[in-house]
Amino acid sequence: MIVEPALADPRMRRESRRAAVRGLGELVLTLGIVVLLFAGYEVFVTGWTADGAQSAASADLDRTWAAPAGAGAGAVTAPAVGKPALRLHIPGLGPGWARTVLEGVGQDVLASGPGHYPGSALPGTPGNVALAGHRVGHGAPFDGLGELHSCDALVLETRGEWFVYRLLPFPGEVAGWTRSAAARPRCKGIDALGGSYSSTPGREIVPPTAGEVVAPVPRRPGVAPERQLLTLTTCHPRFSARQRLVLHAVLVTTYAKAGHPPQWRPSELDGI
Amino acid sequence: MYAWIWRHLPGSGPVRVLAAATAVAVLLAALVLLAFPALDAVLPYADVDVGS
Repeated sequence: MIVEPALADPRMRRESRRAAVRGLGELVLTLGIVVLLFAGYEVFVTGWTADGAQSAASADLDRTWAAPAGAGAGAVTAPAVGKPALRLHIPGLGPGWARTVLEGVGQDVLASGPGHYPGSALPGTPGNVALAGHRVGHGAPFDGLGELHSCDALVLETRGEWFVYRLLPFPGEVAGWTRSAAARPRCKGIDALGGSYSSTPGREIVPPTAGEVVAPVPRRPGVAPERQLLTLTTCHPRFSARQRLVLHAVLVTTYAKAGHPPQWRPSELDGI
Repeated sequence: MYAWIWRHLPGSGPVRVLAAATAVAVLLAALVLLAFPALDAVLPYADVDVGS
């Protein structure tokens, strides 16, 4: 039997071992670069596509509103899944912050903007308007939710009306609320809700399975709602899906668009 | 690995550089257009709703 000369020579053997180690190193480096590329894709590329889809949804909503209201206008009905439902304004996330909300909370819908939980209320009726949105990637509409404070305004815009909600007192603020709220003009009329709403704080962190937080009366499935609430959900902590960040707000004011010029905006949108 | 690929690329000089650039571009496109969206759909941090 003939021994292969390359393997017989110790120098050649060292050489081939070195090549193998170098190949492994190159492979690991390449994988690292691919992981970095994926991070860039998640943060930037999904944002670009989401921005395009959000603009299209927004234009679609404007067209729907501009068209003459058909039969049954005034009735509160949700659009088909994937269609724009209403517009959400959160002045606390920056001047002019607005997103068009689409019907549905599937991944395909949320890739275009915040989504409205099918079956949850629409503004104007007692119940809970529940919205979900991405906190990371896909335009991350709900990225800043963790920085909002109690009494901050969340405004829903429909074809004919503006609905101004304000975040309820956060846990830990309820004791001494009367005094701290008196010092903040925007908290006028805001207080922890009692009765069947006693377990509805302005902000809570819940496990992903806590579907009861979007019930008509949060955490009280089956109880008939008396108040008009708005609930936002997103992932928590950021970059994780271990929990959900949930914000609850209560309706404080409604403005009809009819009595105002087309460009009129509620003063709450200026951060008041 | 990269030395091996370089040795096996066709042509010589500029043609080889062009081939390498094309290979990188094709790989990037495959990642961004196919692999990353598929991975994004199964990773958990895209879940933002409750109760499902």
